[in-house]
Amino acid sequence: MDRTQRPRSVLDSLGEELIGILTPVSICMFTVVLLVCLLNSDPSSSASFSSIATAAYSETDSDSPWDKLLGAFLNSLVFVAAITVATFLLVVLFYLRCVRFLKLYMGFSAFVVLANLGGEISVLLIDRFRLPVDSVTFSILLFNFSVVGVFAVFMSRFSILITQGYLVVIGVLVAYFFTMLPEWTTWVLLVALALYDLAAVLLPVGPLRLLVEMAISRDEDIPALVYEARPVIRDDSRLVQRRVWRDRRSSQNDDDLENNEVVNVVRAEEDEQRSEISVPLIERSRPESSETFLEGIGLGSSGAIKLGLGDFIFYSVLVGRAAMYDLMTVYACYLAIIAGLGVTLMLLSVYQKALPALPVSIMLGVVFYFLARLFLEVFVVQCSSNLVMF
Amino acid sequence: MTVAAGIGYALLALGPSLSLFVSVISRKPFLILTLLSSTLVWLVSLIILSGLWRPFLPLKANVWWPYALLVLSSVCFQEALRFLFWKLYMRLEDVLDSFADRISRPRLFLTDKLQIALAGGLGHGVAHAVFFCLSLLTPAFGPATFYVDRCSKVPFFLVSAIIALAFVTIHTFSMVIAFEGYAKGNKVDQVIVPVIHLSAGMLTLVNFASEGCVIGVPLLYLVASLTLLHCGKMVWQRLIESQNQSGSTLR
Repeated sequence: MDRTQRPRSVLDSLGEELIGILTPVSICMFTVVLLVCLLNSDPSSSASFSSIATAAYSETDSDSPWDKLLGAFLNSLVFVAAITVATFLLVVLFYLRCVRFLKLYMGFSAFVVLANLGGEISVLLIDRFRLPVDSVTFSILLFNFSVVGVFAVFMSRFSILITQGYLVVIGVLVAYFFTMLPEWTTWVLLVALALYDLAAVLLPVGPLRLLVEMAISRDEDIPALVYEARPVIRDDSRLVQRRVWRDRRSSQNDDDLENNEVVNVVRAEEDEQRSEISVPLIERSRPESSETFLEGIGLGSSGAIKLGLGDFIFYSVLVGRAAMYDLMTVYACYLAIIAGLGVTLMLLSVYQKALPALPVSIMLGVVFYFLARLFLEVFVVQCSSNLVMF
Repeated sequence: MTVAAGIGYALLALGPSLSLFVSVISRKPFLILTLLSSTLVWLVSLIILSGLWRPFLPLKANVWWPYALLVLSSVCFQEALRFLFWKLYMRLEDVLDSFADRISRPRLFLTDKLQIALAGGLGHGVAHAVFFCLSLLTPAFGPATFYVDRCSKVPFFLVSAIIALAFVTIHTFSMVIAFEGYAKGNKVDQVIVPVIHLSAGMLTLVNFASEGCVIGVPLLYLVASLTLLHCGKMVWQRLIESQNQSGSTLR
């Protein structure tokens, strides 16, 4: 079988872009699960965690399930309201063309996330593994790490691997802190955010839709934090053009947890340049969703898929919370989220308009979590502890 | 069990599939997607089965016939699902072929189809190993290990890893046999796959006897090696056949 003589089959490169976005999502989820497993030996640590997401009600173990549910609803309501306000603020600022201010603010929040949250997690890890590090070295390293991170997500000519790495790290850090919310609040919050996502993108008055339409009409970049997979070069089709790496970072998912500030969770926005070819582009997807991106001349539809950082964060929160129960639920939720992402991308290529990436995956993930927890675990433990398998 | 032992058990169950993944599947992104979707299909089938059986659990210990019923129903359900999976795959093959025609590339080769079947089977196998072996392994890190009474010579995790390895092999290669059997209409291949699956499932019931795993596990490996041999023979024949058909160039 002489491989070099065979013409390349269609199977060799199909689905490359999808894998390019699945890999960082999986890495992010895996890292969060690892952190949760390593750092969560004592459940009492979650009691001291407070943020805007627990402003209305802080869960204690002694409450009845109905109280917990009600409290979780109130918490999610407050959180979603805060996000809506923040997103509308972003829309207003963008409308008034205060883009520079937004970019500076985003740089600042990226620095805060990397330094603050990154520093806290590093301290927890150092404590757990008993690493001998002195505080001067630690602060120098942390400062360097954060500053390089800020440059990586803002400068356009940075190495793509480092930029992608830093975006995944930011996603991991924020997601880990979100998993420290109380349990009922987390689940209701995830569902509420999925519904908010649906509304914000598909309704005509939704803030994200307004933002996207404004950016299209002005042909500008939305300031946002977005993960961008490496653009694919196809050497057989007519387009052979590596996209110039564009600078497009700003708004960010940030949650300054210690100071109880207003959470500025602006979903990663995305925008893309309309290309000048005659084939109609798949319109930019909703900020928080992924999109395919035609580039160059010709009809080949390759290009980088972009996924908002908020998607990374909330997928990882779901999986991290599943990890706090058992690893079987983690595997089930991981598969559900990947399936949801695949379905969203398929819908995107069918409908060719802005679509939210959270709802399908989160709904599937929540459904699979509860199914796994209630049904699957008993079944599998029964069978395998008696060494009966099929 | 210590971290080193835990990683050892995990690699025991999933090592060959990891090397298959790295050498064959990770080269082509489409195969990774096939693997993920077949893992999902297996998980969904397991969830449905557990939903159906939930009212009857927990089963009484030391009584083996409810487990036999459980294994029988599960295997039948999963084989039916395998047939549906194949139907879906046929549609996918048509879509891929028409896509290849549109971009003026050659249609799917035989090796492509075999690789897709392999990825599908590996997905099933990996799902089995993950849910039946790994998910019990990872919470058990720490001092001490666990032995079951019925198989007291060997830690429980080691036995389940060994059994999982056998099942990974069976699932992976029986999918290849099944796809080829359905495609060619070969009755022998079509029947042999459910038979293998059912006999493997029933053989694990031997573990109910005291120290039964001493007999059950080697017999299981016999079934697994039979699967491997049959699959290898079948694939070899198909490759020779297609090589003869297309003359000197291998298509």
